[in-house]
Amino acid sequence: MADAFPLAPLEPVRNPQATLPDLIDVLLNRGVVVHLDLIISVADIPLIGVSLKAAIAGIETMLEYGMMRSWDEQTRAWVQRSISRTVPFLPDEELIARMAGACESSGYSSTWRPGTVYLTNRRLFVFRREPREMLWEARLDAIRAIETYVDNTIGGQARTRVRLRTGDGSILRLSASDPERLVRLAGDEIAARDARVDGIAPATTLLREGQLWYYEPRAGGAVWRGGQARIDAATGFSWKAPIDARAAVQLRPEDIRGIHLESDRAPTGNIVLVIDVPWGSARFAAHDITQWADATAAFATTTGTLAAAEPGAHMAGDHDAAQR
Amino acid sequence: MPLSVDEKNLKQGVLSLVITLVEVIQEALESQAVRRMEGGELTEEELNRLGEALLELDEALEQIKADHGITQSVADLRRGLDDVVDEVVDKLINPARWADEAGDRT
Repeated sequence: MADAFPLAPLEPVRNPQATLPDLIDVLLNRGVVVHLDLIISVADIPLIGVSLKAAIAGIETMLEYGMMRSWDEQTRAWVQRSISRTVPFLPDEELIARMAGACESSGYSSTWRPGTVYLTNRRLFVFRREPREMLWEARLDAIRAIETYVDNTIGGQARTRVRLRTGDGSILRLSASDPERLVRLAGDEIAARDARVDGIAPATTLLREGQLWYYEPRAGGAVWRGGQARIDAATGFSWKAPIDARAAVQLRPEDIRGIHLESDRAPTGNIVLVIDVPWGSARFAAHDITQWADATAAFATTTGTLAAAEPGAHMAGDHDAAQR
Repeated sequence: MPLSVDEKNLKQGVLSLVITLVEVIQEALESQAVRRMEGGELTEEELNRLGEALLELDEALEQIKADHGITQSVADLRRGLDDVVDEVVDKLINPARWADEAGDRT
């Protein structure tokens, strides 16, 4: 092995100046465990005992070690519940976004009624807290199209608003403090919902899974690391080392600009799979690297052309067409 | 190496010390917030709320520093604190220093 990988002699390098934030960052990211047993005695007679066991870390590190997971979830769920005490949410409805807004009511004359726009995983609705009234609501699966448009206010100013069409053909206009974000999130949610309804089971989209080496770029130069890779038409190409908490490589079909095999030194032989990505290239190796190359190519092209056939499936018009 | 807090103006000195410590905590919170955001578990609504809360805290601190004219003394104090930490870390992880100190004593 030593002959195959001639390494330059390692030089220990340390940033000459360690700052307090650096120190705290390292401690929190790695986590600290303190076990302290202490007896305070006077004239050799123990008087006070201290038995201290502490673990201090950033919550993300805690979660990686499986600690405080339920507490974290409960804390975040509590906020959701405190919002839902005032807003009539359905059971197991999750809030995605909330912003100030208004909806146009069509009565004798059309007027704008102010309230708060709520987007959840089930519905889009406008709710007024005081006096309490649901101004307008629609289930997400009843929304056929949603888009932004520019309207003129009474004062003559141009303003971006949201227009949506529901299943019964009625068109409703909303105003929101951040219309682009609302439309984007609603579009994503509707598209995700359709995918679930259409029943694209993730298991059937798996193209390949197994051992793969990845040439991981690091501060001191790249190293080969063994890990598990997975090519899945639904979730993309991902590579993860066993000790890592998250995938180090996560590629979508549109990220893959090119695939080729190169002759280079690797732990498994002399062939390396190079995938060109927008931020450079990623290098992989395996004993069955040609199959990996084929699977990656299949993933990039099949799902890629699918994506090209309906660009931005979450956009309003296309979504509408796909529904019919 | 001692930290110097201006004796003549004790109120400002203590306030600078408190603000410096709060700033250090704030930076730790921010970097942990970034880690959580990258962790991908938080919902869009939570990301927004977290970002806005941290931004507010940052603005409030800047406002307090400007109101009391302690921006400069906080910066000085932080530099001093960093030097102390640097020295301690250096002492802890650099065995050559232990030998030096042992040599000094004999």
